[in-house]
Amino acid sequence: MTIPHSVRIAGLVLVTTAFYGYVGQLVPQREVQPPTETVLRADMTTADMVKVGGELMVGKGLCMTCHTIGKSGALRFPDLEGVATRASTRIPGMSEIEYFAKSLYAPDSFIVAGFNPGMPVINKPPIGLTDQEILCVIAFLQTLGGTPTVTLQTSHAYYTPPGGAPAAPGGAPTNATPTNTTPAQAPVTR
Amino acid sequence: MNGLSNRKLLFVLGPVTGLVMFGAVLVIATFLTNREYTQPYRAPAAVVDTTPRAAGLEAERTAAEATARATPYVEAEYRAFPVVGSRVAIWAVAQLHLLFAAFVLAVPIFAVLIEAIGYKTGDKRYDRLAYEFTKLLSVSFSLTATFGAALTFMLIILYPKFTNYMMSVFSPTFLPYVGLFFAEAFFLYTYYYGWGKFHPLVHLALGIGLNIVGTAIMFIANAWLTFMMSPNGISDAGALISVWEAIYNFTWMPINVHRVIANVAFGGSVAAAYAAFKFLQATTDEERAHYDWMGYIGNFVAIIAFLPLPFAGYWLAKEIYAYSQTLGLTMMGGAFSWLFIIQAVLIGNLFLGANYYLWLGMGRVKGAQPVQKFVKYLLIAIAICFMVWATPRSIIATVAEIRSMGGSSHPILGFLGVMSAKNTAVNILILTTYMSFLLYRRTGKTATVAWAKTGHTAQLLIFASAAIFVIFLGVYGYFVEASVRIGLSVPQVSAVLFAMVAITAIDYFLYRRPKMTADVRWGHMPAISQYVLIFIAVTFTWLMGLMGYVRSGLRQHWHVYGVIRDTSPDAFTPTLGFATQVVSVTVLAFFLLIGFVFWLASLHDLPDFDQRSSHPHERSS
Repeated sequence: MTIPHSVRIAGLVLVTTAFYGYVGQLVPQREVQPPTETVLRADMTTADMVKVGGELMVGKGLCMTCHTIGKSGALRFPDLEGVATRASTRIPGMSEIEYFAKSLYAPDSFIVAGFNPGMPVINKPPIGLTDQEILCVIAFLQTLGGTPTVTLQTSHAYYTPPGGAPAAPGGAPTNATPTNTTPAQAPVTR
Repeated sequence: MNGLSNRKLLFVLGPVTGLVMFGAVLVIATFLTNREYTQPYRAPAAVVDTTPRAAGLEAERTAAEATARATPYVEAEYRAFPVVGSRVAIWAVAQLHLLFAAFVLAVPIFAVLIEAIGYKTGDKRYDRLAYEFTKLLSVSFSLTATFGAALTFMLIILYPKFTNYMMSVFSPTFLPYVGLFFAEAFFLYTYYYGWGKFHPLVHLALGIGLNIVGTAIMFIANAWLTFMMSPNGISDAGALISVWEAIYNFTWMPINVHRVIANVAFGGSVAAAYAAFKFLQATTDEERAHYDWMGYIGNFVAIIAFLPLPFAGYWLAKEIYAYSQTLGLTMMGGAFSWLFIIQAVLIGNLFLGANYYLWLGMGRVKGAQPVQKFVKYLLIAIAICFMVWATPRSIIATVAEIRSMGGSSHPILGFLGVMSAKNTAVNILILTTYMSFLLYRRTGKTATVAWAKTGHTAQLLIFASAAIFVIFLGVYGYFVEASVRIGLSVPQVSAVLFAMVAITAIDYFLYRRPKMTADVRWGHMPAISQYVLIFIAVTFTWLMGLMGYVRSGLRQHWHVYGVIRDTSPDAFTPTLGFATQVVSVTVLAFFLLIGFVFWLASLHDLPDFDQRSSHPHERSS
């Protein structure tokens, strides 16, 4: 029995389409959810902030899409291992908190040699971390070769918490005492 | 004899039916006019309203009306589409619209070119071929418009807030779009129905007008979709500052160029599939020869347009990175990185299919054997490049396997999964396919110019130099830092483009007046070659569906990247498996519909019903 050409053509279209659909099933299957709503408590300790900062770097902040921690070789963006040490010494007279803040709020200010500019402004969409979330990220970054000191009341050149003292001239951040005017809870996304 | 009796019967039945119908109308009219109008009986209202059920219904209605009056109007952000959800519904309709639009925009480009060749050479075969391509346009245009209208309505219904925002930004472009659409309908139908009715130059001008208007329409629509990916000309809050800047955003021009080229490649492949369909159904050698030639031209158009497509893709990717490194890295290194392995399988198959068709085509020409001996080397080169391109950077492995490998990358194969290797592979693939074309072009011909040997040597040197240069830069990329490595793709691409242009130029003069050693026997192709053309068309269509998904899906949970966030239940990015299922279903729907277009176009060649029914003996013989 000879199969008509029209049936063969239909079969070929079906088999080819099914084959490509099957190839699509062979690759890793990952459903990416949008960032979920969470809450930063006003009484968070520095240790809490480090934990949240680490989660933000992997999640909403998208930092780990480009950066690595503890990798070497032909990297596209700087590796962050030991970055706290480098941040505290790279610009004489500038603290690592100010260095980190400037790198996040005005990322083209510092371009590491051998890399192209490409870091987005972190407090604006599409990433859009809040000032408090950025403090958490800074707290996490301080753990990479240093000791975290940031609190939610830390000021820097780009942010002064409600009721807090502005950053000292020369880049030295200040840790303001918590006041009652600070909102108890600030809803953010993560 | 039977036919004669039937006709007599029909002749008698006509007047009889007419008389019966006239009598029936007379009876009905008489009956109606003799009756006096009386009010129909209705139960007294008090009786009806006193039943508990009616009272309950009335109370419910009054309460619902009161609630509706008390509720302020709130603009809906989203509405749900039944069963498959809003996103999949929009996805499928948009994809079908784009596939038909691509076809409708592409076919006139090469139809006009072929018509112009026919006019210039006086060869009527070209004119017939161009008309054959154009026959496919009319129904496809209607389907494009239908899917476009469906897409617009569905956007308004399912995503009203987002659609409102897009209207607030792009409203100045809508009226020109509609005007151009009318102009396209005018040009298309005049071009199609006016075939052979005007002076050839007037007809060509209509075709050129059709292309200009069609391209302008696509450019406007591209502004809308590229704005969603790389918004520009707006404030941080999304308010419009400049319409022109919103149109001329980062990815607008790369998408314009990419789509024009991709449309031609896609349109050529679908037209070639039509020719294959007709070839397989052909009953005479003449028909087979014609459709073999048509399939060859369609495939030639598809592959010639396909060769520069990766370069347009580089430009687009570069602009995406320039707009947002995050967006670029999401595409190449994040959620979508594995999609490019699927893409490699598709493009590898396209190259294999195109080359295989060319190698089979060498059989049309007697005396092709001296050239065919190179085919095995080309096949080896294509297979190696295919394997390199399809090698993933990281591998799905168990924890134990990852530990033993020292990471998710294979210690040896992992090196082939990076862009240095992949860029090199695709450039060599392009060069190899180009060589297949060149060899095919030479079958049955011998160069007669005095400098033939020098010319051949120069061509070989250029080809070898380009290949070595591309491979050298690919290897060099492993030893330099990122900022240098990214820039290496430009000289790689330039070397390949230079080689193709230079070798073609030499070849043109080498074979301008060749000695023909054998004739091309159009129609002398095995049936499998035609199935290869259909396979190429399906692969192209699937590839367009997949790349359409990545372009749109790249925004992830944003309708307009960084401006209008998707807060619907469909805001997540689905798995690649799910995406490929949607693409597959859409591709099948497209081929079902394009099959309908092919069938309609085939009707054109059938004799009229009267002629067929009045010559039953001819039919049976």
